[in-house]
Amino acid sequence: MATPTLIGADRPLDFEALPDKRPRHWPFSPWHLFLIPLSAAMLLPLVWSVITSLETSADAQRFPPVLLPSSLHFENYVHAWNSLPFGHFFLNSFLYAAATVAGNLLFCSLAAYAFARLRFFGSNLVFVLLLVTLMVPFQVVIIPTFLIVRKLGLIDSVGGLIVPNLCGVFGIFLLRQFFLSLPVQLEEAARIDGASRLAILFKIVLPLSAPVLATLAIIQFMWSWNDFLWPLIIITTPQHAPLQLGLSMFQGSHVTQWNLLMAGTVMSQIPMLAVFLFAQRWFIQSIAYTGIKQ
Amino acid sequence: MRRVAIGTVGLLALACAAVVLTAGCGSSGSGTAASPSAGSGRVVNITLWHGDTDYAAKADNVLVAQWNKANPDIHVTALYNGSNDYALQKTLTAIAGGKPPDITYLYGSWAANIVKSPKVVILNDMIAKDSSFNWNDFWPAERLAATVNGKIMGVPALVDNLAIVYNKKLFDRAGLSYPTAQWTWDDFRAAAKKLTIPAQKQFGWGYPADASEDTVWHWEAMLWDYNGDILTPDNKQAAFNSAQGDQALTMLGDMATVDHSIYIDTTNTKIQQTFNNGHIGMMVTGPWDLPSFPNVKFGVQVMPANHQTISGPDNWVILNNGAARVNASWTFIKWFTAAKQQMYYDLQTGALPTRQSQQQQPDFQTYLSKYPGTDLFVKNMGNAVKSRPTIPQYSKISTFLGQAIVSVMLGKSDAKTALDQAAQQTNALLAVPGS
Amino acid sequence: MTLSLAPDSRLRRALGSEHLAGWAFALPAVALIVIFGIVPIVWSAVMSFQANDLVSAPHWVGVANYRALLHDPAFAASVRHTLLYTVIFVPLSVAGAMLVAWALNRKLHGVRFYRLAVFVPVVTSTVATGIIFLWLLDPVFGLVNFFLSKLGIPAQGFLSNPNQALYCIVAMTIWGWLGFDVIIYLAALQGVPHELIEAAEIDGAGKWSSFRSVVLPFLRPATLFLVVWSTISALQLFDEIYVTTRGGPLGSTTVVVFYLYQQAFQFFNGGYAAAIAYVLFLAILVITIIQLKVGGRRIYSNT
Repeated sequence: MATPTLIGADRPLDFEALPDKRPRHWPFSPWHLFLIPLSAAMLLPLVWSVITSLETSADAQRFPPVLLPSSLHFENYVHAWNSLPFGHFFLNSFLYAAATVAGNLLFCSLAAYAFARLRFFGSNLVFVLLLVTLMVPFQVVIIPTFLIVRKLGLIDSVGGLIVPNLCGVFGIFLLRQFFLSLPVQLEEAARIDGASRLAILFKIVLPLSAPVLATLAIIQFMWSWNDFLWPLIIITTPQHAPLQLGLSMFQGSHVTQWNLLMAGTVMSQIPMLAVFLFAQRWFIQSIAYTGIKQ
Repeated sequence: MRRVAIGTVGLLALACAAVVLTAGCGSSGSGTAASPSAGSGRVVNITLWHGDTDYAAKADNVLVAQWNKANPDIHVTALYNGSNDYALQKTLTAIAGGKPPDITYLYGSWAANIVKSPKVVILNDMIAKDSSFNWNDFWPAERLAATVNGKIMGVPALVDNLAIVYNKKLFDRAGLSYPTAQWTWDDFRAAAKKLTIPAQKQFGWGYPADASEDTVWHWEAMLWDYNGDILTPDNKQAAFNSAQGDQALTMLGDMATVDHSIYIDTTNTKIQQTFNNGHIGMMVTGPWDLPSFPNVKFGVQVMPANHQTISGPDNWVILNNGAARVNASWTFIKWFTAAKQQMYYDLQTGALPTRQSQQQQPDFQTYLSKYPGTDLFVKNMGNAVKSRPTIPQYSKISTFLGQAIVSVMLGKSDAKTALDQAAQQTNALLAVPGS
Repeated sequence: MTLSLAPDSRLRRALGSEHLAGWAFALPAVALIVIFGIVPIVWSAVMSFQANDLVSAPHWVGVANYRALLHDPAFAASVRHTLLYTVIFVPLSVAGAMLVAWALNRKLHGVRFYRLAVFVPVVTSTVATGIIFLWLLDPVFGLVNFFLSKLGIPAQGFLSNPNQALYCIVAMTIWGWLGFDVIIYLAALQGVPHELIEAAEIDGAGKWSSFRSVVLPFLRPATLFLVVWSTISALQLFDEIYVTTRGGPLGSTTVVVFYLYQQAFQFFNGGYAAAIAYVLFLAILVITIIQLKVGGRRIYSNT
């Protein structure tokens, strides 16, 4: 359903801005009057969570609120880290995201190449079938998938998170569209030189596809890292929980305090935020290209 | 039931299913494991599932290791099986799969659900034949919660009850004297009102209002204290929509919507820290919460008026994996739940004594001084004389009551209307045969 | 370099029989998607005609699950909540994003900072968003009630008030999704010729009408995409509800997917939950097709 080509992946996204045309007697553009409050509103929740995470529990529950704490309590982060297996949470999330990114890159590349370049028995039918699954919301498949994963003995394990998400139809479509846009001559030449199809895929096609592979990796990483519903259903032991589920377990436990909960929340967002700030352009390009947040 | 289980609601369907599935296969001698384990020298291996973590898990392991050392013919393996909230689901899945554990920890509220499975070993005969076990040493509330239609389906594993925990500093500041055993509910309400200072965000009472069983059992203690009842004695009809029920809920509603003296937590995650930070004068809670209040100088007092409280005992349930293993399990669990072993566990964890005779154990005084406030909770066990209905429909009835209580507390309904509606739903549910 | 008008045929000849290779390449992916996609889709459909508690052997009940859905007031309420949420969330978030993108699409001091502020929530997880808003909107100690008190407005219950909770969820999710929509619009604005945008920016009356007649047509595909996409997401709302209200207070935020989750994994009514899932699927399908038909026609008639 997503129209994945709102803008080309090859095209730099600079948001070529218009010149600022302000009314003659204004010292600054009136747009600031809109954008400053807007930015404040967008940043306020995050800033407030950081402030709360550095307060004492008593200060966090004061009214009027303590807007600027007199002393910073970084030990809240240590307490939060120690009160639940946060180390496990991070590791599980990382494994979940890394494995599904790797799986999607590999399996989607292979399949996409087959559907883009090879004519094989039943390929059209299979392709249409895949197309159908893309339209079905996750809620429809969630119960049988739970039963299948249980049959495989993977309930309450990181493996149970990973296996059903190793290869998404979305990735196959994305890559196939891109492969189709590549000139076929290079592959032909290599083929005549006796290269195997696998070698062609890995030595010629994939290197040319770096931008779209990066897009797929980013989208899949974001999706797995922030996934909540599936872990909620199959994971019961805190040690096996990925970050988002672990955070919600933390929130649900009765003894949680706001300052520690905010410390845990901030900690959980740092890796993704860091990657985003570091590779902002890639993120934005991937989102604009694929139009997929989740 | 220390913490109210998330998954308690609606598990009856699961239990019924397990019955259907195992009805044909597990008929070999439930409850007839009479002969003591023959000294054949063969080792019987049994498995125990629990949901303990931290200190509690350590105590379990110490005790089990002690047992295994002294009893080479019965080897016990204690397994942490994830949170207790999922224990019923996991046990039923294991029964359906044909490989249940020999002993498992289950919330008391699931007694009626699990007892439908023929795999559950009914203990009446074994208890009757074994005078050393002394069933009556357990508190009345524990015995009631482990008994379904006269069948004893488990051995009490953990017990608690509710009492008033109050912040002494806030009472002093308001010029109020501390709660006494002579308090009426009007005294309670008046104190809560006096403790309420809106400008300082200070409240008289904190109440969990997420419509879960946690919401419900707090109110049920009040209902009993007002001499009301949940169901009629035959468990066929709702009884909570009586004049007493109306009184109990009206008082709760008036405190919430007229006095504004209640900190209403619709998420049921915030009361503990709010009490610990000195914004709540009184809580009605159990011994498990006391470690969450390091910043508060607190006192503990029994409930007002008739002192009736509610208890949420949990059980060790034995499942039938053949006579030899049933015997071994019974032998082990007798030892495991005896006063001496239980005292060791309580000393490590702060849990309440499950047996009355533990008060004569040498370590009992050490235990009381190690866990301030628990002495009253131990005494308060004597005030837990009633039990929630041990019927499989209870978890659904609890959801009806939860909605009724919260709607009154949020001022969306008056007590009578809300209780009548819940009663109507309850009666309709109870009228379905065999549900 | 060889020029070939029909590269496929040459390549195919060079490759010889491609059946084996094709399947070898596609098999791992196809197997995974069959096991975790196609089988569950079919199984779920079958399950919706069964009583299935996820533990014991299911049995057939015909259309009983669907018939029960028709008479289930809790399901009807969840549908109402979901539709209300969708009808508020989609127009507000899409129109808001268009305005913000228009504002951000210019050379301005600090525009990079403004963009960052708008984009950051996109990478904030739904769980974190829920927890943070639960704290901001805390009825007793929350920052928002503090601001209201400064304006002389009494403290509100927000997520603990059955009349306000769903609107709080709307606000929370708009915060989380705005950046995503803005990125799409900013990308779309790159396709609009500069002269046209500048014409729409010229001072004086008729600014809005020139924007509407000149720029808006260029944004129609992006708008259509966002409306369709936001609607699908809105109909599947779950995470934020689970984290903040668990469907409460008094069921006022029980949306369809949350109800489905409860039925499947708390009450173990697998068949009933599967029926809910299929109803949701059909609803999404129908609504999407209508949106694409209506929206698509407007795109073609206006450009």
